[in-house]
Formats: sequence, C-alpha cells, structure tokens
Amino acid sequence: MENLVLSKEKLPEMLTEIASKYALFGPIEENGVTSFKHISNSQEINLDYLRSRISPKDLIFQQTETLFTFSKGKEVKVNTPQIDEAKRVIFGIRSCDARGYSILDPVFEGKREGDYKDPFYTKKRNRSTLIGLSCNKPEVNCFCTSFDDSPASMKNVDILFTDIGEKYFIDIVTEKGKELIENLGNLFSKASEEDGEVRERVEQDAINAITRHMNTEGVVEKLEKMFNHELWQKTAMRCIGCGICTYLCPTCHCFDMQDEATLKEGARIRVWDSCMYPEYTMHASGHNPRPARMNRVRNRVYHKFSYFPKNDKIFACTGCGRCIDYCPVNIDIIDVIAKVKEAKI
Amino acid sequence: MVDLKNLIEITKKIVSREDVRYVVGYKKGTYGFQIMPAFAYTPEDAEDFIYSPVCSKNLAVYTILEEKLPLKRGEEEDKRKIGVVVKGCDSRAIVQIIQEKGLKREDLVLIGIPCKGVIEPKKIEKMFPNQTDLIDVIENDNSEYIINIGGKTHKVPKNELLSDVCKSCEFPNPPLYDVLLGEEVEITEIEEFSKIDELDEKHTEDKWEYWKRHFERCIRCYACREACPLCYCKECMADTLNPQWIRRSVNLSENAAWNIMRAYHLAGRCVSCGECERVCPVNIPLMELNKKIERDVKKMFDYTSGLDEEEKPLFGMFKPDDPEDFIL
Repeated sequence: MENLVLSKEKLPEMLTEIASKYALFGPIEENGVTSFKHISNSQEINLDYLRSRISPKDLIFQQTETLFTFSKGKEVKVNTPQIDEAKRVIFGIRSCDARGYSILDPVFEGKREGDYKDPFYTKKRNRSTLIGLSCNKPEVNCFCTSFDDSPASMKNVDILFTDIGEKYFIDIVTEKGKELIENLGNLFSKASEEDGEVRERVEQDAINAITRHMNTEGVVEKLEKMFNHELWQKTAMRCIGCGICTYLCPTCHCFDMQDEATLKEGARIRVWDSCMYPEYTMHASGHNPRPARMNRVRNRVYHKFSYFPKNDKIFACTGCGRCIDYCPVNIDIIDVIAKVKEAKI
Repeated sequence: MVDLKNLIEITKKIVSREDVRYVVGYKKGTYGFQIMPAFAYTPEDAEDFIYSPVCSKNLAVYTILEEKLPLKRGEEEDKRKIGVVVKGCDSRAIVQIIQEKGLKREDLVLIGIPCKGVIEPKKIEKMFPNQTDLIDVIENDNSEYIINIGGKTHKVPKNELLSDVCKSCEFPNPPLYDVLLGEEVEITEIEEFSKIDELDEKHTEDKWEYWKRHFERCIRCYACREACPLCYCKECMADTLNPQWIRRSVNLSENAAWNIMRAYHLAGRCVSCGECERVCPVNIPLMELNKKIERDVKKMFDYTSGLDEEEKPLFGMFKPDDPEDFIL
C-alpha cells in the first residue's frame, strides 16, 4: 500500500478527528505512570514515553469484567451486560504490546476445535484498530528483537507511525488500517523516497540500540528435561510472591471468577489472577497443585517458554521487559532463560 | 563503609556453623544498579556477598516468607537458624516480629550493618537511565556517591539520591544483632517527613481527592504486602473468601479498602523501611499513610515500634492513661 506522512503539527487534529468518530485510546501519564486510557481530548495524550507501565492488554482483556448481574429473591433475574460495541482506535501502541494481543488471540478467540470463544475479548479485539508507534529509543530491558520482531514492526498493527523528525511516516498495513485512514480526510501527504529512507534508518538505529538479548533456541526442548532442576528452587528463594510480573505482562492471561453481591443484587465478575499467588488454582478440597513458591515460579516460566509454544507455536513473551524492570528482587527472565540454556542436565 | 572482606568472612563463619541453614544477604544483580537477595548455604556462596548504598531491600522479609510444606513420611523439619544481613530498619522489623511472637530470637543470627541510608532505585535509574553493565556505587566521607560508568566517574550529592524515608530515619543502627559490621553511625540531622504536614493542612475533601487519584491506579498486585516484613499473616484479610472483607474487583472502592486496611494493620508496627512504596509499580505514596500513622501513634501513645524485643506490641498492651478522646 502507498506510504503517507503526517506533519507533527497535524497530529492533534488527527486525534480529534479520530475521537469524534471512534472511541480513542492512547497513552496517558499520571504521577509518572503511563497507561492506556480513553481519550476525549488530544491534549491528554503523552507520546513522550518509551513503554507504558501498564500494558494495553487491559483495554481488551480488562482486569475486572462483569460477566452478568443477578437479583436476589425468589424470582432471580439474570442480566447480561451490553458489551461495548463502539469501534475503537488504540493509538500509540508499541510493537511488543501489539504482539501481546496476537499471543492472547489463540486463548480467547476459540480458533481450535472445542475451544470457547470469549465474547468480551473478541468483540473488543475485532472492533479495535491498532495504530502502532515505533520505538525510537528502546529501554535497557527491551528485547523484542529476540523474538524475530522489531521496534518498528508492522506484524501486529493495522497502521504504523514512525517518528522521523518533523513528521510521522505512516505504513498502512491492513485493510482495516486503510479504511481508517480514508475516513480521516485530507490530513496526510504522500511519503517521499527520502522519508522512506529515514524511516528505515530510524528502525535500524532502534534495533542497534537494543543491548540485551535472549537466546531461545532449543529452550522448549531443554525445559522438557528440566522440570526437577534446582534452578527453580534457587530462583524461587528470592521471589517474594507478588503479582507485578504477571499483572504488568502483556501476555499473562490467567483469571479468576467470583460472585460479588450486596443485599439486593450481585454480579459474577472475572478478574485477573496471578500464578504467583498461593491461592492460584487452589482446589476446594484444600489441595494446592502448586504448594510452594518454587512450583509457581517454575509455572510462570514454563507457561511462557514451554506450554504455550507447544500448544500455539509461539513464545508467550514479547520482550517488553516490564517484568525485569519492576521485579522487586531482580528475577530477570533474560537471565533465567540464559541459566536454562547453561544448565547441566 | 562496610568492609566487604569482613562481611564475607563473618558470613562464611556463620554459614559454617552446624546450627545454621543459610544466610541471606545481597549480591550483584543482572544489570545496571540492580542488586538481588542472595542465599549462602556454603562458605563458597558467601563469596558473592556485597554491601553498598544500593542495597535497599529489607531482607527481614525472608525470615517470614519461607513456605513450610507438609513433611513427607519420615522427614524431619529443619529447625536450624537462618542468618540475615540487617540494616537499622530491617533489624527493627525483626524486633517487631519477635515482640509479636512471629519469630523466635534463637532461630536467627543477625549480621548488623550500621546504615548511612540507601539510594532510592527509582531516583538513580532516572539520573542514569538505561545502564546495561553492572555499576558499583560507593559513598565517600563527603556525603557524596561515587558512581563509575564506562570509565567516567560521577560524584552525586547524597541528598539527591537518598531514599526519602532514610532522610527522616532516627534509627540507622540495628537495635538487635549478633555481629555488628563497623562502627555505629552517628545521627546528625533528621528531616521531618514533610509531606504529612502538607496533607494534614488540607480539607478532608481534598485529602480524599488526593488519595482517590492514587488508589484508582492500584492494580492490586500486593507487592506492598509481599515486600513488607510485617505483613506475615498466614491468611491475609485480602485473600479470605468467607467473609470476603475486600472484593476482588479492582475499582476505587475496593482498592481504597485494601490500602487503608493495610495501613491500619501496620499501625504501631511499621518500621519505616519504605519497601512498600519502593516496590509499588504504580507509584502510590504509601509511606505518607504509614508515616502519618507512625506520627499519630508516637503522639498519642509515645510508642515507637521495633526497638526492644522484650516490650509488648502497641495493641497488645493497655495503660490506664491511654488517650481515649478519639473513641466515639
């Protein structure tokens, strides 16, 4: 498809235009924490961020989702809530987080036979158009290139914006993206050959700026033989069992379901769960399949680097580096996988 | 300055004792300014131990974190002691747990470190972002940190990187220890934790607006609880299902309930190590809650937590002249 450019001055106009036609979501900073929120005014958006603290996973797979509500009494009424039907545009998503959605898809979209298709996830996902924003300055723990991806990857977005100085270079990737651009009128101009060269250079510079790498070659096979390795106990000794790694992760997707009620009414809700918590998958009998922290730390690594690739042919890690950045005790997934590679079995 | 050789020698001696299982200390992390908790089971393991101004973690948490799994038939519980490297606040946390009968003094060997304050990781990572290589930080006698990055030496005034809680710390020396590394630190100047006064002067509505903004961001990862050495309930009130004190829904109401209940459960117990705020991934200023309660407890009951293992915990004692004008 033809490439376009947008002068930076026209960005607010474009965002206002999008916000008037779609539900617009983008990165907002509050008290030093960037997360993706609904945007009504283009001024709120903060593009001066590297990676949002909270991944935009929560726009599609919400932390708290009401599945249905019910009333109390003899004649119980069950109401299914309206799922947000508005067409959405998620602006400013990074390639790693867009890849996160692609990893969540096989879990919620029920493409394999017999799998459940989750209406809450799929409706929001299908109605979202992703406008990616290339990373120009990756952070210390960014390692998306280790998963054959790039800070300016077009693989999982509909449109990709790349900051090339005075303007944004625009790659229109999908039909959905094309439709959106056509809907926005005359804000864009044609990209010159030089613009394209700058875009390539920006991408290459960003790739070169990535200093940390994970070598995943043979990890799936190696993990098959390492279930009882001492590495898990050693790593788990320092784990304090908080949920930071799982809640900031763009691909962690375990959830719990609960009934929450007041005197008159109640709701069945779905909330994020974390395999780091002792009550995770605890049986009603009191039996806990992962009784020790070691079992839980191991489960997180295996889920991402063994079970998921075996089931869906993709590692459940995007290289965003959030779990490394914010782990209070420096459990560093790059280091863990390096230790897996080195381990003697 | 803590003499590293001395730290390693002492750790080796302790870990060699037959009645000690392991010693918890610090070692270098995987990148930049990171350090990580280290467990020495053998004298060789102790070779990795370090101590520097970036060692902010409160290791006292590891005395209460270990999960005791059901023993297999014929297996006996390992009742040997655990060694821990403790700064002033870490030691106070242990004293507090001993007061509450959560730990026994004889189960611990404490390597005390007179603490000159620790660097706030968020501050140093902001000043020197994106460091892949491991960096050493040393404190000189001039209240400066010497930071060597890629052959270039940076001198940073201590006050710019020091943790806010350390600036108002009254107890840098461990009140309880078996070995003390180096001379006790003299307390020179203490800054008041000024944010509380600012908040105190606000109207109730404005206070609520302030906390509302912060609690709305909470993602309920419970890192504050897990990093806290004094959050050691076998079953946290946030996890109980029957009755369910706090619902699992993540919204302002439940988040506020969680954060406020946790703050109250630490009344007269918090030792101001600042770990909860340090680990919070969404920058909730939790120490403002804890410090406010700490100050009220001091004013009303003239009580400071974690100083004397023989003393009774604040809520475990009653004095006839305790104030009661706040009781409705």
